[in-house]
Amino acid sequence: MIGPSIEIKGTVTGDEDLMIEGKVEGTIELGSHQVTVGQSGKVTADISAKIVNIDGEVSGDLMGGEKVVISKSGKVRGNIVAPRVTLEDGAIFKGSIDMDPGEAEPSKVPLTAQTSANTPPDELASDLDLKRG
Amino acid sequence: MTSTQPSSLLAALFEQIDDDQTLTVLETGPALQETVEFFSRYRCRLHVLNLFSELPIREEEGGPSLRDQFSGLLQFPEGTTFDICLFWDLFNFLDRDAILAFMAALRPHLRPGSLAHGFAVHNQNVPQDDRRYGISAADALSVRSRPGQLPGYAPHTQSKLKNLLYCFNFDRTVLLAGSRLEFLLRARA
Repeated sequence: MIGPSIEIKGTVTGDEDLMIEGKVEGTIELGSHQVTVGQSGKVTADISAKIVNIDGEVSGDLMGGEKVVISKSGKVRGNIVAPRVTLEDGAIFKGSIDMDPGEAEPSKVPLTAQTSANTPPDELASDLDLKRG
Repeated sequence: MTSTQPSSLLAALFEQIDDDQTLTVLETGPALQETVEFFSRYRCRLHVLNLFSELPIREEEGGPSLRDQFSGLLQFPEGTTFDICLFWDLFNFLDRDAILAFMAALRPHLRPGSLAHGFAVHNQNVPQDDRRYGISAADALSVRSRPGQLPGYAPHTQSKLKNLLYCFNFDRTVLLAGSRLEFLLRARA
């Protein structure tokens, strides 16, 4: 664990899971392990790991071999590459997400809505060309 | 609280996608999990701008021009061309000059036939109702209320938007409850 008062500049590598509550600038590479940036963690670095969990702030690219999870307290500015990405409600994210279904489990999202809608749109007309406001 | 809103125009975005195609999508708002999950069925790059977090976007005296602001906000890798743009409620919060600057910054990243889906208003007097949207299915959106009120609400009618969104033609428009408008745009050649 990198504690709240610890600041690291450089490359972080290792052969175990890592929890970051402090500050890291540089690069974090834990290919087959899990990296968690805790709520007090502030990271300015690209992170590469099997699983990347973000509860704090990250400015950098995230590469998750298995998945990337940004929790409701997480703030990320950067690009994400992972077969599975979870953005919890409240998560703040700016950047791009690269997805390839060939690398992930089959999607459970329906192609069409399967349940009755709560808020029907009261569609009044289609192909409208409304000239006035 | 999340509700579901059926959409008769959304499905048009996905009708002509080849299995081998890498889809490039621009979400101008915040990305909801539903949207990420939906696009994860495609080989896809989803760009999330969340311009709503930058509001109000206007030109201040002595500050950067709107064109410079949008050039800074719309920075994409060279060669990025969007197949789909999502403009849900965005233009209700940008004034005329900001929309024109946004179009100028977006134009290099469009191709003829790029599609866009969005919401606006039919009547400028429609009261502010801040929402977040996600794609829950090809014909339905998840809708959540925003916790706070966004600044700069000043919606435009469709006739004004037609002139301001000069990179696009309006393909189809549907009038929704509460004088809201759903639209499908197609980028001009």
